[in-house]
Amino acid sequence: MNLRNPVLSMVIYGLSTGIGLVAFLYPFWLPAVPRTAIMGQAHSHDAPLLLTLLVGLCLAVLLLEVQGQAVSAKLAALLGILVAINSVLRFIETALPGPGGFSPVFFLIIVTGYVYGGRFGFLMGALTLLVSALMSGGVGPWLPYQMFTAGWVGLSAPLCRPTVWLLGGEGRQREVLILAAFGGLWGLLYGAIMNIWFWPYAAGPVEQYWEPGLALVDTLQRYAVFYLATSLLWDTLRSTGNVLYMVAVGLPTLRALRRFRQRFAFDYHDPSPASGGRRV
Amino acid sequence: MIHPLAWVAWLGAVLTALTLTRNPFYLALILGWIAAVTGLSRPAAGTAPIPISPLRFAMGVVAFSALFNALTVHFGDTALFSLPEALPLLGGVITLEALVFGGLNGLVVSGLFAAFSIVNRVLPVRALIRLIPRAFYPVAVVASIAVTFVPAMLRHFEQIREAQAVRGHRLRSWRDWLPLVMPLLIGGLERALQLAEAMTARGFVAVERPGDDLKTRLVMIAGLLLLLGGWLLRLVWQQERAGLGLLLLGVGMILGLLWRVGRRAPRTVYRPEPWQARDAGVMLGAAMTALAFLVQLPGLDRSAIFYYPYPALAIPGFDPGVAMATLGLLGPLLGRARRADPAADTMFEHTQI
Repeated sequence: MNLRNPVLSMVIYGLSTGIGLVAFLYPFWLPAVPRTAIMGQAHSHDAPLLLTLLVGLCLAVLLLEVQGQAVSAKLAALLGILVAINSVLRFIETALPGPGGFSPVFFLIIVTGYVYGGRFGFLMGALTLLVSALMSGGVGPWLPYQMFTAGWVGLSAPLCRPTVWLLGGEGRQREVLILAAFGGLWGLLYGAIMNIWFWPYAAGPVEQYWEPGLALVDTLQRYAVFYLATSLLWDTLRSTGNVLYMVAVGLPTLRALRRFRQRFAFDYHDPSPASGGRRV
Repeated sequence: MIHPLAWVAWLGAVLTALTLTRNPFYLALILGWIAAVTGLSRPAAGTAPIPISPLRFAMGVVAFSALFNALTVHFGDTALFSLPEALPLLGGVITLEALVFGGLNGLVVSGLFAAFSIVNRVLPVRALIRLIPRAFYPVAVVASIAVTFVPAMLRHFEQIREAQAVRGHRLRSWRDWLPLVMPLLIGGLERALQLAEAMTARGFVAVERPGDDLKTRLVMIAGLLLLLGGWLLRLVWQQERAGLGLLLLGVGMILGLLWRVGRRAPRTVYRPEPWQARDAGVMLGAAMTALAFLVQLPGLDRSAIFYYPYPALAIPGFDPGVAMATLGLLGPLLGRARRADPAADTMFEHTQI
């Protein structure tokens, strides 16, 4: 990683991710605010705009911090090609739709984040969604949210490493099973998170929808009903697809990515005497 | 051709107006102006076709949204009919208010889709990549590489599929993806290695990581904290002015930081896109619409924007001033340019690092 200021980096990751989470999840913690303070306020109408601004700026800051990973030629090339491969998989998925919400793009985001690190995984997730949207005419107001959430998928992938280490280390089938479980979990979480950005503004103030001032339990109950009615089947198919795909191609992909990690581990040095063999 | 920045301003104004209002009169006007711009704007060469026409999308979404809302939201004074309570989720009174509100939400989503479809249609991918701020030049480089390699990867995938088919490979189950995906991945990684060597040989060198110095990072943290503080003050503690002040300060700090970091990555453009009077007109029109919906301007009754059909359906208010302000969205039709120069799509740029 070779960070000059690892503590500041962690603070920036934590803050931007934390603010993004707070923004995404505000229907769940806002109940702490007195109901009378919220009802009828003018900016309840500009909340979606404000939320988009907040999430967009957090994404910008996180990208600015994370992109340092990609300034070397090796990593820019590697990331660019992997994003291109993942975009191709998304095109194939568009041409031959998988069941429900299944998309093969999450597989590569998870394994690259796991093998090459969270920052690489974040860029892989965010840029896959960006590039495939640019290429397929899919740019829309949902894009920053998709980029952020797909980025989180890659950023969190290294969290599997301690469990893998405890259960016997790399290169075993257990490693793939842990990553498959992780992919299955994110299959459900991705849908649940992406719902939240529009759910509070989606419709009227009754059983399935949020209204300001609801207690946390009521909010969770309503969201659960909404999720069961609209998303569970879709997301379950995505989750199952992630698990099956990881089990089917996980082990050889991990081997290939590790082999190329070693092949990419070389440095160029400026041979001129004036440079003193400086690394470039 | 309208400048990409002018299109972004137009899109921002549409987004602002559509997100804020549920008043059917204003929605109809905005959708009408979007339709006019759709009808009269020409697609740029090399842009991806829109997967579904905005009209077909609107018909599906409005019908689905109205029906779904009516069936699941049993709220409102005007009952149309009732479904048995025993039906989970759907049982209860079906109201006119829920049907109307669902339909209005469907119209908003359709308008957003149509507006983004226009921008996707009129701006080539290169122009969209050029819109990535200079501060994100590594991201822009990666996006350029990916966009350039996607067609090659698609060809590569087709070659792999044909080669495997000749060997008798058929896609029968999820396990059959392995002989297709692995050669694509390994071939791609080999290309990445060659590309990295070529980029280094041509002088692409990591000299400095943007955003890596102490001051930049401290400003990032301060900007994020101000954003959070301002948002919470407004939303939770009802401190309108203080909250707005902190929010604006946070936004300003982060935008200023992006500008400052961007200055370290000078960009040269092979074929610059000139800024014309027409672009300024589009920007002014967009600003006029956005301001009318965002700020309380003298002489405008902004309250009619926030229409809500619950609990009893009523005829929404209408302010002619706000309606006039929506005319700003017709900016792209001002003095329509001659056919876009196809050579513009081959424009490229490079970043000096």
